[in-house]
Amino acid sequence: MTANTEEQELKDRISLIESMIAEGRRTTESWGWIFVFWGVAYYVAIAWSAWGNHRVPAWNITMTAAMLVTFGVVVWRKFGGTQKSQPVTTFGRAVTSVWMAVGISFMVLIPSLGMGGRSNSNLVVAVIGTLLGTANAASSMILKWKLQFACAVVWWALAVISCIGTHAQSFYGLLVANFFCQIVFGIYGMIAQSRKQKECRAGQGVSHA
Amino acid sequence: MRGKGSPMPELPELNPVIHGKLRLALLSLLTGVEEAEFIWLRQKTGSTDGNLGAQLLKLEEAGYISVKKKFVQRKPQTLYRMTEAGRRALTEYVVALKQLLGGAIGD
Repeated sequence: MTANTEEQELKDRISLIESMIAEGRRTTESWGWIFVFWGVAYYVAIAWSAWGNHRVPAWNITMTAAMLVTFGVVVWRKFGGTQKSQPVTTFGRAVTSVWMAVGISFMVLIPSLGMGGRSNSNLVVAVIGTLLGTANAASSMILKWKLQFACAVVWWALAVISCIGTHAQSFYGLLVANFFCQIVFGIYGMIAQSRKQKECRAGQGVSHA
Repeated sequence: MRGKGSPMPELPELNPVIHGKLRLALLSLLTGVEEAEFIWLRQKTGSTDGNLGAQLLKLEEAGYISVKKKFVQRKPQTLYRMTEAGRRALTEYVVALKQLLGGAIGD
């Protein structure tokens, strides 16, 4: 074997290590639907509370139902669905932890504000904006995803508008932020994941020792 | 080839257990995950069951991976996890590889 082929073989080993590490980190978990689903849930709660005149039960019932559905689907996929052979990656665990922590914060904070009689709509929207901004920002930094960081900025902007703006500005701000950062971003995520899964299926492996 | 007068630098040897392409791919895959199923490893490497099983056994015998077998909904599931020794060995392999390549580039 010549020095050149040996050198090429060593370089191939380096590329193999890099590509396999990237492949291991690549997750094919589907999360886009969660964004779309929660976006729709927010719209249902907003519509019900605005036009049904039942603000507190509208949010409590819709959010509890959305949490139960999300939890049920995640558990089913983990233990009985098609993705059960997907391993847990360090990145996946980090991102999941961020969203779980934010979910728990929501569950603790929003009902507490309601029970304490401090569920002023601007305050609630500011809390939602801050928490979703934090989760999206942390997640985008872990995944190095600028688009998700842009979503975080939109949520933070909504939190600021809700603190200093009028009730109407906060309300319409929530509708717009929800549309772009939940519905549009979620659909974009679903398309991106579907593409990634096709790439994974088409990818060639290392078939020999 | 170097000239007569220049001393030959000590070049590291590559760990033969890790140097095999499939074994190297398997260890690299396992660095990014907590544990992985046999099916997932087969899917990612595109290897056959027999070959994959044999290479995983070699890694297990070397102490680079650990194996856990369990039943999920009455179906057998084999999970592989990289050990601390495996992580150390892969790091040393990469360092050695870079040294060798550095030497080759230097020549």
